[in-house]
Amino acid sequence: MTAPHLRKGTPRELAPGVHWLGDCLEQHANGKIYHTYNAAYLVIGTEASLLVETGHPKDYPLLAGQLQSLLEGQPPLRYLFVTHQETPHSGGLGRILEDYDDVILCGDMSDYHLAFPQFADRMKPMRDGDSIDLGGRRFHVVEPVIRDLRTTWWGFDDKEKVLFPGDGFAYSHYHEDGHCGLFAEEAISLNIPEVSAVFADRALFWTKFTDMKHYADRLEYIVKKLDARYIAPAHGLPIIDPATTFPKIKEGLLYGSSVPESGTETGPTKAA
Amino acid sequence: MNNSQVSAVTEVISLVPDKLYSVASTIRLDGSVSSYPANATGYTKGHCYLLKEGKDALLLDTGYTAHRSAIIASLRGILAEGDELSIYPLRLNEYMSVCNVEMIAQTFRAKQCYSGNPDASLWVGFSRHVERPDDYQLKTTLVARRQEIDLGSAGERKLQAFQAPIRLIGTRWVMDPSTGTLFSSDSFTHEWSRTTHGPWVIDDADDVAAMPHIRSFLLNTRYWWLEGGKTEELCAKIDAVRRDYSIERIAPGYGKITEGRAAVDRQFDRLIEALRSLDRSVTPSAYVDRDLIR
Repeated sequence: MTAPHLRKGTPRELAPGVHWLGDCLEQHANGKIYHTYNAAYLVIGTEASLLVETGHPKDYPLLAGQLQSLLEGQPPLRYLFVTHQETPHSGGLGRILEDYDDVILCGDMSDYHLAFPQFADRMKPMRDGDSIDLGGRRFHVVEPVIRDLRTTWWGFDDKEKVLFPGDGFAYSHYHEDGHCGLFAEEAISLNIPEVSAVFADRALFWTKFTDMKHYADRLEYIVKKLDARYIAPAHGLPIIDPATTFPKIKEGLLYGSSVPESGTETGPTKAA
Repeated sequence: MNNSQVSAVTEVISLVPDKLYSVASTIRLDGSVSSYPANATGYTKGHCYLLKEGKDALLLDTGYTAHRSAIIASLRGILAEGDELSIYPLRLNEYMSVCNVEMIAQTFRAKQCYSGNPDASLWVGFSRHVERPDDYQLKTTLVARRQEIDLGSAGERKLQAFQAPIRLIGTRWVMDPSTGTLFSSDSFTHEWSRTTHGPWVIDDADDVAAMPHIRSFLLNTRYWWLEGGKTEELCAKIDAVRRDYSIERIAPGYGKITEGRAAVDRQFDRLIEALRSLDRSVTPSAYVDRDLIR
Protein backbone atom coordinates (compact mmCIF):
# COMPACT_ATOMS: atom_id res chain seq x y z
CA MET A 1 0.00 0.00 0.00
CA THR A 2 1.01 3.60 -0.42
CA ALA A 3 0.90 6.21 2.32
CA PRO A 4 -1.56 9.03 1.55
CA HIS A 5 1.19 11.69 1.58
CA LEU A 6 2.83 9.92 -1.37
CA ARG A 7 -0.24 10.06 -3.60
CA LYS A 8 0.74 11.99 -6.71
CA GLY A 9 -0.62 12.71 -10.13
CA THR A 10 0.52 13.79 -13.54
CA PRO A 11 1.94 16.12 -14.67
CA ARG A 12 4.89 15.50 -12.42
CA GLU A 13 8.52 16.59 -12.74
CA LEU A 14 10.72 13.55 -13.17
CA ALA A 15 14.00 15.41 -13.44
CA PRO A 16 14.79 19.12 -13.79
CA GLY A 17 13.08 20.20 -17.01
CA VAL A 18 11.58 16.78 -17.71
CA HIS A 19 7.89 16.30 -16.94
CA TRP A 20 5.76 13.16 -16.90
CA LEU A 21 2.34 13.60 -18.54
CA GLY A 22 -0.57 11.39 -19.48
CA ASP A 23 -3.04 9.04 -17.92
CA CYS A 24 -3.68 5.41 -17.06
CA LEU A 25 -5.62 2.83 -19.02
CA GLU A 26 -7.55 0.21 -17.11
CA GLN A 27 -6.78 -3.43 -17.85
CA HIS A 28 -8.53 -6.54 -16.64
CA ALA A 29 -6.41 -9.64 -16.14
CA ASN A 30 -6.33 -12.62 -13.81
CA GLY A 31 -9.65 -11.49 -12.35
CA LYS A 32 -8.08 -8.21 -11.21
CA ILE A 33 -8.02 -4.60 -12.38
CA TYR A 34 -4.62 -3.25 -13.35
CA HIS A 35 -3.65 0.17 -14.63
CA THR A 36 -1.06 0.95 -17.27
CA TYR A 37 0.24 4.31 -18.42
CA ASN A 38 0.40 5.53 -21.98
CA ALA A 39 2.65 8.36 -20.90
CA ALA A 40 4.16 11.35 -22.66
CA TYR A 41 7.10 13.43 -21.42
CA LEU A 42 7.90 17.09 -21.91
CA VAL A 43 11.59 18.05 -22.14
CA ILE A 44 12.23 21.78 -21.71
CA GLY A 45 15.44 23.39 -22.96
CA THR A 46 16.47 27.04 -22.86
CA GLU A 47 15.46 27.57 -26.50
CA ALA A 48 12.85 24.97 -27.31
CA SER A 49 10.72 22.22 -25.80
CA LEU A 50 10.21 18.69 -27.04
CA LEU A 51 7.40 16.26 -26.37
CA VAL A 52 8.20 12.54 -26.24
CA GLU A 53 5.17 10.42 -27.25
CA THR A 54 1.62 11.73 -27.37
CA GLY A 55 -0.18 9.22 -25.20
CA HIS A 56 -3.28 7.28 -26.09
CA PRO A 57 -5.87 8.97 -28.36
CA LYS A 58 -8.33 9.03 -25.44
CA ASP A 59 -5.88 11.05 -23.33
CA TYR A 60 -5.42 14.02 -25.65
CA PRO A 61 -7.85 16.39 -23.88
CA LEU A 62 -6.00 15.75 -20.60
CA LEU A 63 -2.58 15.95 -22.24
CA ALA A 64 -3.48 19.19 -24.01
CA GLY A 65 -4.32 20.84 -20.70
CA GLN A 66 -1.18 19.52 -19.03
CA LEU A 67 0.96 20.76 -21.90
CA GLN A 68 -0.61 24.17 -21.92
CA SER A 69 0.01 24.71 -18.22
CA LEU A 70 3.58 23.39 -18.30
CA LEU A 71 4.57 25.44 -21.34
CA GLU A 72 3.39 28.72 -19.85
CA GLY A 73 6.42 31.02 -19.73
CA GLN A 74 8.68 28.31 -21.15
CA PRO A 75 10.44 27.99 -24.51
CA PRO A 76 7.89 26.97 -27.14
CA LEU A 77 7.09 23.44 -28.13
CA ARG A 78 9.06 22.88 -31.34
CA TYR A 79 9.51 19.10 -31.58
CA LEU A 80 7.48 15.96 -31.16
CA PHE A 81 9.43 12.70 -30.96
CA VAL A 82 7.39 9.50 -31.09
CA THR A 83 9.12 6.17 -30.40
CA HIS A 84 6.95 4.29 -32.87
CA GLN A 85 3.72 4.31 -34.83
CA GLU A 86 1.43 2.32 -32.53
CA THR A 87 -1.53 4.51 -31.65
CA PRO A 88 -1.13 4.32 -27.83
CA HIS A 89 2.21 6.08 -28.42
CA SER A 90 1.40 8.34 -31.36
CA GLY A 91 -2.39 8.67 -31.41
CA GLY A 92 -2.36 12.33 -30.39
CA LEU A 93 0.17 13.51 -32.95
CA GLY A 94 -2.39 14.83 -35.43
CA ARG A 95 -3.95 17.02 -32.77
CA ILE A 96 -0.55 18.18 -31.47
CA LEU A 97 0.41 19.26 -34.99
CA GLU A 98 -2.98 20.94 -35.39
CA ASP A 99 -2.62 22.80 -32.08
CA TYR A 100 1.05 23.80 -32.39
CA ASP A 101 1.81 25.19 -35.86
CA ASP A 102 5.59 25.21 -35.39
CA VAL A 103 6.02 21.67 -34.14
CA ILE A 104 8.08 19.26 -36.25
CA LEU A 105 7.47 15.52 -35.93
CA CYS A 106 10.77 13.64 -35.43
CA GLY A 107 11.90 10.03 -35.39
CA ASP A 108 11.23 7.21 -37.85
CA MET A 109 8.62 8.69 -40.16
CA SER A 110 7.29 5.46 -41.62
CA ASP A 111 3.51 5.36 -42.15
CA TYR A 112 2.90 8.93 -41.01
CA HIS A 113 2.81 10.24 -44.60
CA LEU A 114 -0.14 7.88 -45.11
CA ALA A 115 -1.85 8.42 -41.75
CA PHE A 116 -1.29 12.19 -41.59
CA PRO A 117 -0.64 13.30 -45.19
CA GLN A 118 -1.69 16.85 -44.33
CA PHE A 119 1.46 17.18 -42.21
CA ALA A 120 3.92 15.53 -44.59
CA ASP A 121 5.97 18.73 -44.79
CA ARG A 122 6.47 18.79 -41.01
CA MET A 123 8.23 15.44 -40.65
CA LYS A 124 11.93 15.08 -39.88
CA PRO A 125 13.38 11.57 -40.24
CA MET A 126 15.97 10.78 -37.57
CA ARG A 127 18.05 7.75 -36.74
CA ASP A 128 20.60 6.46 -34.23
CA GLY A 129 23.22 9.15 -33.60
CA ASP A 130 21.02 12.09 -34.63
CA SER A 131 20.18 14.70 -32.04
CA ILE A 132 18.19 17.88 -31.50
CA ASP A 133 19.54 20.94 -29.69
CA LEU A 134 16.95 22.28 -27.25
CA GLY A 135 19.31 24.83 -25.72
CA GLY A 136 21.35 23.63 -22.76
CA ARG A 137 20.48 20.04 -23.49
CA ARG A 138 20.37 17.75 -26.51
CA PHE A 139 17.84 15.04 -27.24
CA HIS A 140 19.45 12.01 -28.90
CA VAL A 141 17.96 9.12 -30.86
CA VAL A 142 19.31 5.86 -29.41
CA GLU A 143 19.13 2.11 -29.93
CA PRO A 144 15.71 0.59 -29.18
CA VAL A 145 16.38 -2.65 -27.31
CA ILE A 146 12.79 -3.67 -26.49
CA ARG A 147 10.50 -2.85 -29.38
CA ASP A 148 7.60 -4.05 -31.41
CA LEU A 149 7.30 -2.37 -34.84
CA ARG A 150 10.62 -2.50 -36.68
CA THR A 151 10.57 1.28 -36.96
CA THR A 152 11.01 1.94 -33.23
CA TRP A 153 13.64 4.35 -31.83
CA TRP A 154 14.32 5.33 -28.25
CA GLY A 155 15.33 8.79 -27.02
CA PHE A 156 17.84 10.17 -24.51
CA ASP A 157 18.20 13.55 -22.81
CA ASP A 158 21.91 14.22 -22.23
CA LYS A 159 21.49 16.91 -19.57
CA GLU A 160 19.69 14.91 -16.92
CA LYS A 161 20.51 11.57 -18.53
CA VAL A 162 16.91 10.48 -19.00
CA LEU A 163 16.24 7.45 -21.18
CA PHE A 164 12.89 7.37 -23.03
CA PRO A 165 12.47 3.68 -23.89
CA GLY A 166 8.96 3.54 -25.38
CA ASP A 167 7.82 -0.05 -24.88
CA GLY A 168 10.85 -0.90 -22.75
CA PHE A 169 10.36 -1.09 -18.97
CA ALA A 170 6.67 -1.80 -19.59
CA TYR A 171 4.62 -2.99 -16.67
CA SER A 172 1.22 -2.40 -15.14
CA HIS A 173 0.60 -1.04 -11.65
CA TYR A 174 -1.99 -1.39 -8.89
CA HIS A 175 -4.52 1.41 -8.97
CA GLU A 176 -6.07 0.21 -5.73
CA ASP A 177 -2.73 0.50 -3.96
CA GLY A 178 -2.50 4.15 -5.00
CA HIS A 179 0.32 3.61 -7.49
CA CYS A 180 -1.05 5.98 -10.13
CA GLY A 181 1.29 8.96 -10.40
CA LEU A 182 4.08 7.36 -8.36
CA PHE A 183 7.62 6.64 -9.42
CA ALA A 184 8.55 2.95 -9.36
CA GLU A 185 10.60 3.35 -6.20
CA GLU A 186 7.67 4.94 -4.36
CA ALA A 187 5.25 2.13 -5.21
CA ILE A 188 6.54 -0.15 -2.51
CA SER A 189 3.88 -2.84 -2.91
CA LEU A 190 4.48 -3.10 -6.65
CA ASN A 191 5.51 -6.62 -7.62
CA ILE A 192 7.43 -5.81 -10.80
CA PRO A 193 7.79 -9.41 -12.05
CA GLU A 194 4.04 -9.97 -11.67
CA VAL A 195 3.00 -6.73 -13.40
CA SER A 196 5.61 -7.22 -16.11
CA ALA A 197 4.02 -10.58 -16.87
CA VAL A 198 0.57 -8.97 -17.03
CA PHE A 199 1.75 -6.38 -19.50
CA ALA A 200 3.72 -8.85 -21.61
CA ASP A 201 0.67 -11.07 -21.84
CA ARG A 202 -1.45 -8.28 -23.22
CA ALA A 203 0.91 -6.25 -25.34
CA LEU A 204 4.29 -7.89 -25.81
CA PHE A 205 3.34 -11.30 -27.20
CA TRP A 206 6.75 -11.71 -28.83
CA THR A 207 8.56 -11.76 -25.50
CA LYS A 208 6.97 -15.12 -24.75
CA PHE A 209 8.47 -16.78 -27.80
CA THR A 210 12.05 -15.60 -27.74
CA ASP A 211 14.94 -15.85 -25.30
CA MET A 212 14.60 -12.61 -23.34
CA LYS A 213 17.95 -13.05 -21.63
CA HIS A 214 19.62 -11.52 -24.71
CA TYR A 215 17.35 -8.49 -24.46
CA ALA A 216 17.67 -8.14 -20.68
CA ASP A 217 21.47 -8.22 -21.02
CA ARG A 218 21.44 -5.69 -23.84
CA LEU A 219 19.13 -3.45 -21.85
CA GLU A 220 21.55 -3.51 -18.96
CA TYR A 221 24.39 -2.67 -21.34
CA ILE A 222 22.54 0.31 -22.84
CA VAL A 223 21.49 1.70 -19.44
CA LYS A 224 25.13 1.51 -18.28
CA LYS A 225 26.57 2.84 -21.53
CA LEU A 226 24.32 5.88 -21.42
CA ASP A 227 24.75 6.19 -17.65
CA ALA A 228 20.98 6.72 -17.49
CA ARG A 229 19.94 8.35 -14.20
CA TYR A 230 16.24 8.33 -14.94
CA ILE A 231 14.09 6.06 -17.05
CA ALA A 232 10.89 7.41 -18.57
CA PRO A 233 8.88 4.54 -20.06
CA ALA A 234 5.60 4.91 -21.89
CA HIS A 235 3.80 2.19 -19.95
CA GLY A 236 5.65 1.58 -16.69
CA LEU A 237 6.09 3.94 -13.75
CA PRO A 238 9.12 6.23 -14.20
CA ILE A 239 12.32 5.07 -12.54
CA ILE A 240 14.45 7.45 -10.49
CA ASP A 241 16.97 4.94 -9.14
CA PRO A 242 17.98 2.58 -11.97
CA ALA A 243 20.69 0.89 -9.92
CA THR A 244 18.13 -0.31 -7.38
CA THR A 245 15.22 -0.94 -9.73
CA PHE A 246 16.93 -2.39 -12.80
CA PRO A 247 17.48 -5.87 -11.26
CA LYS A 248 13.74 -6.09 -10.61
CA ILE A 249 13.03 -5.02 -14.19
CA LYS A 250 15.38 -7.68 -15.49
CA GLU A 251 13.73 -10.28 -13.29
CA GLY A 252 10.34 -9.06 -14.55
CA LEU A 253 11.37 -9.37 -18.19
CA LEU A 254 12.54 -12.93 -17.68
CA TYR A 255 9.57 -13.92 -15.54
CA GLY A 256 7.07 -12.28 -17.94
CA SER A 257 8.53 -14.23 -20.83
CA SER A 258 8.31 -17.49 -18.92
CA VAL A 259 4.57 -17.28 -18.25
CA PRO A 260 2.51 -18.83 -21.06
CA GLU A 261 0.47 -16.32 -23.02
CA SER A 262 -3.23 -16.15 -22.36
CA GLY A 263 -4.31 -13.41 -24.69
CA THR A 264 -5.26 -9.76 -24.89
CA GLU A 265 -8.56 -8.09 -24.16
CA THR A 266 -11.44 -9.67 -22.31
CA GLY A 267 -14.96 -9.29 -23.54
CA PRO A 268 -18.28 -11.10 -23.42
CA THR A 269 -18.66 -14.47 -25.04
CA LYS A 270 -21.25 -13.55 -27.64
CA ALA A 271 -21.60 -10.44 -29.78
CA ALA A 272 -25.00 -9.18 -30.78
CA MET B 1 8.64 13.01 -47.78
CA ASN B 2 5.73 14.44 -49.71
CA ASN B 3 2.40 13.54 -51.17
CA SER B 4 3.90 12.47 -54.47
CA GLN B 5 5.00 9.33 -52.66
CA VAL B 6 1.37 8.42 -52.00
CA SER B 7 -0.45 6.75 -54.84
CA ALA B 8 -4.12 7.28 -54.17
CA VAL B 9 -5.27 4.53 -56.50
CA THR B 10 -8.14 2.71 -54.83
CA GLU B 11 -10.11 0.00 -56.57
CA VAL B 12 -12.85 -2.44 -55.70
CA ILE B 13 -11.96 -6.11 -56.12
CA SER B 14 -15.07 -8.28 -56.20
CA LEU B 15 -14.08 -11.57 -54.58
CA VAL B 16 -17.53 -13.15 -54.20
CA PRO B 17 -20.24 -11.16 -55.99
CA ASP B 18 -22.73 -9.56 -53.56
CA LYS B 19 -20.91 -11.19 -50.65
CA LEU B 20 -17.30 -10.08 -50.40
CA TYR B 21 -15.29 -7.18 -51.77
CA SER B 22 -11.89 -5.66 -51.16
CA VAL B 23 -11.62 -1.91 -51.28
CA ALA B 24 -7.94 -1.97 -52.13
CA SER B 25 -5.66 1.08 -52.03
CA THR B 26 -2.22 1.18 -53.60
CA ILE B 27 0.70 1.85 -51.28
CA ARG B 28 4.14 2.61 -52.61
CA LEU B 29 6.97 0.70 -50.93
CA ASP B 30 10.21 2.63 -50.52
CA GLY B 31 11.30 1.81 -46.98
CA SER B 32 8.74 4.13 -45.40
CA VAL B 33 6.02 1.58 -44.63
CA SER B 34 6.52 -0.21 -41.32
CA SER B 35 4.72 -3.37 -42.45
CA TYR B 36 7.31 -4.09 -45.16
CA PRO B 37 11.05 -4.61 -45.06
CA ALA B 38 13.11 -1.42 -45.15
CA ASN B 39 14.62 -2.56 -48.44
CA ALA B 40 11.35 -3.53 -50.16
CA THR B 41 10.50 -1.54 -53.28
CA GLY B 42 7.43 -1.65 -55.48
CA TYR B 43 3.78 -1.50 -54.55
CA THR B 44 1.26 -3.25 -52.38
CA LYS B 45 -2.42 -2.98 -51.62
CA GLY B 46 -3.98 -2.06 -48.30
CA HIS B 47 -7.30 -3.93 -48.09
CA CYS B 48 -10.55 -2.95 -46.42
CA TYR B 49 -12.82 -5.96 -46.79
CA LEU B 50 -16.55 -5.42 -47.08
CA LEU B 51 -18.72 -8.44 -46.28
CA LYS B 52 -22.36 -8.19 -47.34
CA GLU B 53 -25.34 -10.31 -46.39
CA GLY B 54 -28.61 -8.82 -47.57
CA LYS B 55 -28.86 -5.34 -46.05
CA ASP B 56 -26.22 -6.10 -43.43
CA ALA B 57 -22.57 -5.24 -44.08
CA LEU B 58 -19.32 -5.52 -42.14
CA LEU B 59 -16.13 -3.63 -42.96
CA LEU B 60 -12.88 -5.20 -41.78
CA ASP B 61 -10.29 -2.39 -41.41
CA THR B 62 -10.62 1.14 -42.68
CA GLY B 63 -7.37 2.10 -44.43
CA TYR B 64 -5.08 5.11 -44.24
CA THR B 65 -6.17 8.74 -44.19
CA ALA B 66 -4.36 9.30 -47.49
CA HIS B 67 -6.91 7.02 -49.15
CA ARG B 68 -9.94 8.16 -47.16
CA SER B 69 -12.03 9.84 -49.84
CA ALA B 70 -11.40 7.09 -52.36
CA ILE B 71 -12.31 4.41 -49.82
CA ILE B 72 -15.52 6.19 -48.85
CA ALA B 73 -16.41 6.71 -52.52
CA SER B 74 -15.81 3.02 -53.17
CA LEU B 75 -18.00 2.02 -50.24
CA ARG B 76 -20.76 4.30 -51.54
CA GLY B 77 -20.57 2.39 -54.81
CA ILE B 78 -21.09 -0.98 -53.12
CA LEU B 79 -23.48 -0.15 -50.28
CA ALA B 80 -27.12 0.44 -51.17
CA GLU B 81 -29.61 2.78 -49.54
CA GLY B 82 -30.72 1.27 -46.25
CA ASP B 83 -27.74 -1.03 -45.82
CA GLU B 84 -26.53 -1.26 -42.23
CA LEU B 85 -22.77 -1.09 -41.83
CA SER B 86 -20.69 -2.38 -38.92
CA ILE B 87 -16.94 -1.90 -38.64
CA TYR B 88 -14.29 -4.21 -37.19
CA PRO B 89 -10.66 -3.00 -37.13
CA LEU B 90 -8.54 -6.10 -36.74
CA ARG B 91 -5.50 -4.22 -35.39
CA LEU B 92 -6.83 -1.51 -33.10
CA ASN B 93 -3.35 -0.04 -32.48
CA GLU B 94 -2.30 0.33 -36.10
CA TYR B 95 -3.09 3.23 -38.40
CA MET B 96 -3.71 1.06 -41.46
CA SER B 97 -6.66 -0.50 -39.61
CA VAL B 98 -8.11 2.48 -37.79
CA CYS B 99 -7.38 5.80 -39.52
CA ASN B 100 -10.83 6.05 -41.06
CA VAL B 101 -13.06 4.40 -38.44
CA GLU B 102 -14.52 7.70 -37.27
CA MET B 103 -15.14 9.18 -40.70
CA ILE B 104 -16.57 6.00 -42.23
CA ALA B 105 -18.73 5.42 -39.16
CA GLN B 106 -20.11 8.96 -39.32
CA THR B 107 -20.56 8.93 -43.09
CA PHE B 108 -22.53 5.68 -43.13
CA ARG B 109 -24.03 6.02 -39.63
CA ALA B 110 -22.40 2.72 -38.73
CA LYS B 111 -24.47 0.48 -36.50
CA GLN B 112 -21.54 -0.57 -34.32
CA CYS B 113 -17.83 -1.06 -34.07
CA TYR B 114 -16.63 -4.46 -32.91
CA SER B 115 -13.70 -4.28 -30.54
CA GLY B 116 -11.93 -6.10 -27.74
CA ASN B 117 -11.97 -2.84 -25.77
CA PRO B 118 -15.09 -1.43 -24.15
CA ASP B 119 -15.24 1.90 -25.99
CA ALA B 120 -13.68 1.73 -29.44
CA SER B 121 -14.38 5.41 -30.08
CA LEU B 122 -11.71 6.29 -27.50
CA TRP B 123 -9.10 4.49 -29.61
CA VAL B 124 -9.78 5.99 -33.01
CA GLY B 125 -9.92 9.79 -32.66
CA PHE B 126 -6.89 11.23 -34.41
CA SER B 127 -7.88 14.66 -35.64
CA ARG B 128 -10.03 17.58 -34.63
CA HIS B 129 -11.33 17.69 -38.18
CA VAL B 130 -13.50 14.65 -37.52
CA GLU B 131 -14.72 15.91 -34.18
CA ARG B 132 -17.45 18.08 -35.61
CA PRO B 133 -20.75 18.60 -33.79
CA ASP B 134 -22.94 15.67 -34.63
CA ASP B 135 -25.51 13.64 -32.77
CA TYR B 136 -24.05 10.38 -34.06
CA GLN B 137 -22.31 8.20 -31.47
CA LEU B 138 -20.32 5.14 -32.44
CA LYS B 139 -21.53 2.17 -30.42
CA THR B 140 -19.03 -0.51 -29.40
CA THR B 141 -19.88 -4.20 -29.34
CA LEU B 142 -17.30 -6.09 -27.30
CA VAL B 143 -15.71 -9.12 -28.89
CA ALA B 144 -14.06 -11.80 -26.76
CA ARG B 145 -10.84 -13.59 -27.62
CA ARG B 146 -12.83 -16.13 -29.61
CA GLN B 147 -16.31 -15.24 -30.63
CA GLU B 148 -19.00 -15.77 -33.20
CA ILE B 149 -20.27 -12.69 -35.00
CA ASP B 150 -23.57 -12.76 -36.84
CA LEU B 151 -23.98 -11.15 -40.23
CA GLY B 152 -27.34 -10.78 -41.95
CA SER B 153 -30.69 -9.55 -40.63
CA ALA B 154 -31.43 -12.98 -39.15
CA GLY B 155 -27.81 -13.72 -38.27
CA GLU B 156 -27.64 -16.29 -41.04
CA ARG B 157 -23.94 -15.78 -41.82
CA LYS B 158 -21.78 -16.80 -38.90
CA LEU B 159 -18.26 -15.39 -38.70
CA GLN B 160 -15.62 -16.64 -36.28
CA ALA B 161 -13.33 -14.00 -34.79
CA PHE B 162 -10.31 -15.08 -32.79
CA GLN B 163 -6.91 -13.94 -31.61
CA ALA B 164 -4.28 -14.24 -34.30
CA PRO B 165 -2.16 -17.31 -33.58
CA ILE B 166 0.95 -15.30 -34.48
CA ARG B 167 1.07 -11.58 -33.86
CA LEU B 168 3.17 -8.66 -32.77
CA ILE B 169 0.44 -6.36 -31.52
CA GLY B 170 -3.18 -7.09 -30.62
CA THR B 171 -4.53 -8.74 -33.77
CA ARG B 172 -7.65 -10.70 -34.69
CA TRP B 173 -8.24 -13.10 -37.51
CA VAL B 174 -11.75 -13.68 -38.83
CA MET B 175 -13.07 -16.76 -40.63
CA ASP B 176 -16.09 -16.49 -42.89
CA PRO B 177 -17.13 -20.11 -43.55
CA SER B 178 -19.83 -19.12 -46.03
CA THR B 179 -17.22 -17.83 -48.50
CA GLY B 180 -14.34 -19.98 -47.22
CA THR B 181 -12.37 -16.82 -46.49
CA LEU B 182 -9.79 -16.40 -43.74
CA PHE B 183 -9.09 -12.73 -43.01
CA SER B 184 -5.54 -13.00 -41.76
CA SER B 185 -4.77 -9.36 -40.93
CA ASP B 186 -0.97 -8.96 -40.85
CA SER B 187 -0.14 -12.60 -41.69
CA PHE B 188 0.30 -13.96 -45.24
CA THR B 189 1.27 -10.42 -46.25
CA HIS B 190 4.62 -11.31 -47.79
CA GLU B 191 3.66 -10.81 -51.45
CA TRP B 192 3.84 -7.46 -53.20
CA SER B 193 4.31 -6.28 -56.76
CA ARG B 194 6.90 -4.39 -58.77
CA THR B 195 4.18 -2.37 -60.48
CA THR B 196 0.89 -0.78 -59.54
CA HIS B 197 -0.90 -3.32 -61.72
CA GLY B 198 -0.39 -6.29 -59.45
CA PRO B 199 -1.66 -8.93 -59.98
CA TRP B 200 -3.27 -8.77 -56.53
CA VAL B 201 -4.75 -12.26 -56.47
CA ILE B 202 -2.70 -15.49 -56.48
CA ASP B 203 -4.73 -18.45 -57.67
CA ASP B 204 -2.00 -20.86 -58.72
CA ALA B 205 -0.10 -22.74 -56.03
CA ASP B 206 3.02 -22.49 -58.15
CA ASP B 207 2.93 -18.71 -57.76
CA VAL B 208 3.18 -18.83 -53.97
CA ALA B 209 6.47 -17.36 -52.77
CA ALA B 210 9.27 -19.72 -51.84
CA MET B 211 10.03 -20.38 -48.18
CA PRO B 212 13.26 -18.29 -48.04
CA HIS B 213 11.32 -15.22 -49.18
CA ILE B 214 8.67 -15.77 -46.51
CA ARG B 215 11.31 -16.36 -43.84
CA SER B 216 13.17 -13.21 -44.86
CA PHE B 217 9.94 -11.18 -44.92
CA LEU B 218 9.04 -12.29 -41.41
CA LEU B 219 12.47 -11.44 -40.02
CA ASN B 220 12.67 -8.07 -41.74
CA THR B 221 9.26 -6.88 -40.62
CA ARG B 222 7.29 -7.26 -37.42
CA TYR B 223 8.44 -10.82 -36.82
CA TRP B 224 12.09 -9.85 -36.37
CA TRP B 225 12.10 -11.73 -33.02
CA LEU B 226 11.41 -15.23 -34.35
CA GLU B 227 14.95 -16.45 -34.95
CA GLY B 228 15.85 -19.04 -32.31
CA GLY B 229 12.43 -18.70 -30.68
CA LYS B 230 9.72 -21.15 -29.69
CA THR B 231 8.28 -21.23 -33.18
CA GLU B 232 7.07 -24.83 -33.03
CA GLU B 233 4.37 -23.55 -30.67
CA LEU B 234 3.35 -20.97 -33.25
CA CYS B 235 3.30 -23.59 -36.01
CA ALA B 236 0.91 -25.70 -33.98
CA LYS B 237 -1.43 -22.76 -33.45
CA ILE B 238 -1.39 -21.84 -37.14
CA ASP B 239 -1.90 -25.41 -38.29
CA ALA B 240 -4.86 -25.71 -35.92
CA VAL B 241 -6.54 -22.85 -37.78
CA ARG B 242 -6.07 -24.71 -41.06
CA ARG B 243 -7.47 -27.89 -39.52
CA ASP B 244 -10.45 -26.16 -37.93
CA TYR B 245 -11.74 -24.43 -41.04
CA SER B 246 -12.26 -25.14 -44.69
CA ILE B 247 -10.23 -22.28 -46.11
CA GLU B 248 -10.57 -21.50 -49.81
CA ARG B 249 -9.22 -17.96 -49.70
CA ILE B 250 -6.70 -16.03 -47.59
CA ALA B 251 -7.53 -12.35 -47.43
CA PRO B 252 -4.66 -10.51 -45.72
CA GLY B 253 -4.89 -6.93 -44.50
CA TYR B 254 -2.28 -5.95 -47.06
CA GLY B 255 -0.51 -7.64 -49.95
CA LYS B 256 -1.89 -10.26 -52.31
CA ILE B 257 -5.02 -12.33 -51.81
CA THR B 258 -4.68 -16.10 -52.19
CA GLU B 259 -7.50 -18.02 -53.93
CA GLY B 260 -8.16 -21.75 -54.13
CA ARG B 261 -7.48 -24.65 -51.81
CA ALA B 262 -4.20 -25.68 -53.40
CA ALA B 263 -2.70 -22.20 -53.20
CA VAL B 264 -4.03 -21.73 -49.65
CA ASP B 265 -2.48 -25.00 -48.54
CA ARG B 266 0.81 -24.02 -50.15
CA GLN B 267 0.78 -20.72 -48.23
CA PHE B 268 0.20 -22.51 -44.93
CA ASP B 269 2.86 -25.10 -45.72
CA ARG B 270 5.44 -22.47 -46.60
CA LEU B 271 4.69 -20.28 -43.59
CA ILE B 272 4.97 -23.25 -41.26
CA GLU B 273 8.15 -24.39 -43.01
CA ALA B 274 9.64 -20.91 -42.57
CA LEU B 275 8.70 -20.84 -38.89
CA ARG B 276 10.09 -24.34 -38.31
CA SER B 277 13.40 -23.28 -39.82
CA LEU B 278 13.61 -20.58 -37.14
CA ASP B 279 12.83 -22.75 -34.12
CA ARG B 280 15.26 -22.79 -31.24
CA SER B 281 15.83 -26.50 -31.83
CA VAL B 282 17.55 -25.72 -35.14
CA THR B 283 18.58 -22.04 -34.94
CA PRO B 284 20.44 -20.32 -32.11
CA SER B 285 18.85 -17.23 -30.62
CA ALA B 286 20.61 -13.90 -30.35
CA TYR B 287 19.90 -10.25 -29.73
CA VAL B 288 18.52 -8.75 -32.95
CA ASP B 289 19.66 -5.27 -33.87
CA ARG B 290 16.96 -2.94 -35.16
CA ASP B 291 18.39 -2.58 -38.67
CA LEU B 292 19.63 -6.09 -39.26
CA ILE B 293 18.43 -7.21 -42.70
CA ARG B 294 18.22 -10.99 -43.05
